[in-house]
Amino acid sequence: MISTGVLGLDEMLGRGIPRGSRVLYSMEPGVDGQLFMLSSLSCALAQGLSCLVILPNTTVDAFRNDAAKMYGAQMDLVSGPVVFMDAIDRERIQKTSRSEEAREREWQARIRKICRDHSVDVIFAYFDLLYEDFGLEKAIHLLESAREDAKTTLILEHLNLEGATLLERFTREFSFDLIIAIRASFRPIPQFNYFTLVHTSWSTVAPRSVPFIIREGRIIPYIPRIVVTGPAHAGKSTFVAQASDDVQSVDRRSPEGEPTTVAMDFGWLRWKDFDITLYGTPGHTRFDPLLPPYLRHAIGVVLVIDATKPDTFPRAKYLIDMAVKRRIPYVIAANKNDLPRVIQPREIRTALGIRDDITVFPVSATRRSDVHFVLESLVDSITQFSY
Amino acid sequence: MIIHWMYCYKTGIAQIDDVTGGFEAGTNVLILAPPMSYADQLAYALAKPLEGEYAIVLSTNERAAEVVDAFKAAGADKRFTGVIDAITKSSTTGIMDTQRMMFVSSPTDLTGIGIKFSNMIETIFEGNFAEGETGLFPPPIRFCVNSISTLLMYRRLEVLYQFLHVLTAKLKKIEGAGIYLLNSESFDEKTLSLIKQLMNCVIEVKIEQNASYLRIQGIRGVSGEWLKFAVVKGKVTILT
Repeated sequence: MISTGVLGLDEMLGRGIPRGSRVLYSMEPGVDGQLFMLSSLSCALAQGLSCLVILPNTTVDAFRNDAAKMYGAQMDLVSGPVVFMDAIDRERIQKTSRSEEAREREWQARIRKICRDHSVDVIFAYFDLLYEDFGLEKAIHLLESAREDAKTTLILEHLNLEGATLLERFTREFSFDLIIAIRASFRPIPQFNYFTLVHTSWSTVAPRSVPFIIREGRIIPYIPRIVVTGPAHAGKSTFVAQASDDVQSVDRRSPEGEPTTVAMDFGWLRWKDFDITLYGTPGHTRFDPLLPPYLRHAIGVVLVIDATKPDTFPRAKYLIDMAVKRRIPYVIAANKNDLPRVIQPREIRTALGIRDDITVFPVSATRRSDVHFVLESLVDSITQFSY
Repeated sequence: MIIHWMYCYKTGIAQIDDVTGGFEAGTNVLILAPPMSYADQLAYALAKPLEGEYAIVLSTNERAAEVVDAFKAAGADKRFTGVIDAITKSSTTGIMDTQRMMFVSSPTDLTGIGIKFSNMIETIFEGNFAEGETGLFPPPIRFCVNSISTLLMYRRLEVLYQFLHVLTAKLKKIEGAGIYLLNSESFDEKTLSLIKQLMNCVIEVKIEQNASYLRIQGIRGVSGEWLKFAVVKGKVTILT
């Protein structure tokens, strides 16, 4: 397997890209996603794989400089096992070969020779100009036919100006194994970037989209809002505090003397390469008008219930129905499982009327490992959820 | 009732400003001009930022520093002028981006151009572009491509059309104004008519007996007659 360089993405793909695959990173215009290709290149080099990088629209020096700026110094593009074909090669081929057929033959011969001489494992190609020079079919054929060894992996980056139609062609006509579209929500400025796993040939995962941010030269899948909700005193604040690397809580003393959340809990954590923010809602009914705005942009929901208090289950059902109505992936954390007289998950499921595929996790929110187990399951649900 | 107030970009050309107040927000203007007609001066005069505005120039035939100098000479505040330079990097590969000067490897690099364009717009919207910003929202942005002709030399018409389609649409969304320069003598009618389809307004330029003339098409209420003009220190003067 070849790592994409994005751990969260690797997990979604089942540990990375299988050797010999054909991969497309499709870039929407204006989206800062060049790091996907660079991360994959960096990982291939770090694995000791021999790489050929085809850059028809720039020179090797400019590419090395850009890569160092974007990715940092850890990628060795000088002494590593990497060979380049760049804009100067393209110019030479265009000058020396008179017809399109001759140019195609020349490209093929050069790529094939490099692959043979350097036992190339992975070809990375910036595809735009090849596509423009030869058309889609011929450009893909040109790269394909140069791959004499079926184990040679082909990874393309392409500025996709044709949208879904082109992705469809890569999937159906050319049977690419992995297609990732890198996109942005633009309203009116780029609101957030996200990648969509459009197609994988080696697994049956449904198409899914995950926002990402770029920090310190790395792509970090980003889950901007997981809402932690549940009846009052179910343990939501404890859950958020235990889950988070950093937490802010707005609590007041209730008439019973216990702390109760009156605004929200806010937590942040890095979990398995995902950046996650948690919003803990207040549990009292008087704060219910706050819930729809909380849920409007939520990507996942954790319902925390007190498993020792069945009288709070109708309230829990009311809350989780709000997530179901909005088609937000969710999980149930049946808290206080370390106390006596807990209700069993089967009965909780019946009381809440939830589907069989939704897991009820018996947990103690005071245990970090329990809380992280719940979050791991939710992240899986989010990334595997068919939106 | 909410009334959406549309910003108007003053042109300095009375025949436009007196009728419509300037280019309406979201307008894309093609300047179609023969070589050596000083059309670049006209484009810069229309693209230079007035007070409270910003300008972004995609430069395919001049270095960023030259563009900034030209804007400065035209009376623009250089703090509010950004340049995406597609020239310098081919010779100075290690050149670093700054907030207001960004570099792409060549005019073929449409991926890079798109990214830098988004980055610059984002910086302006976030209020991090320059000190002394006025805080108008959306921030008025004039965008200038100082030659589509150069882009057409490197990329196929269909590809460039699709790319410009995305760019002009984004400019409409952010309520900017786009000024695009195209050499009228180097391309066939099909090319010109395809590029015109992306625009709301076309300003044609011609030279006759050493004098420059312009003709404005596509702005309601503005006559399409040829007007003799000169550009002096960044100001367009219509000569009678």
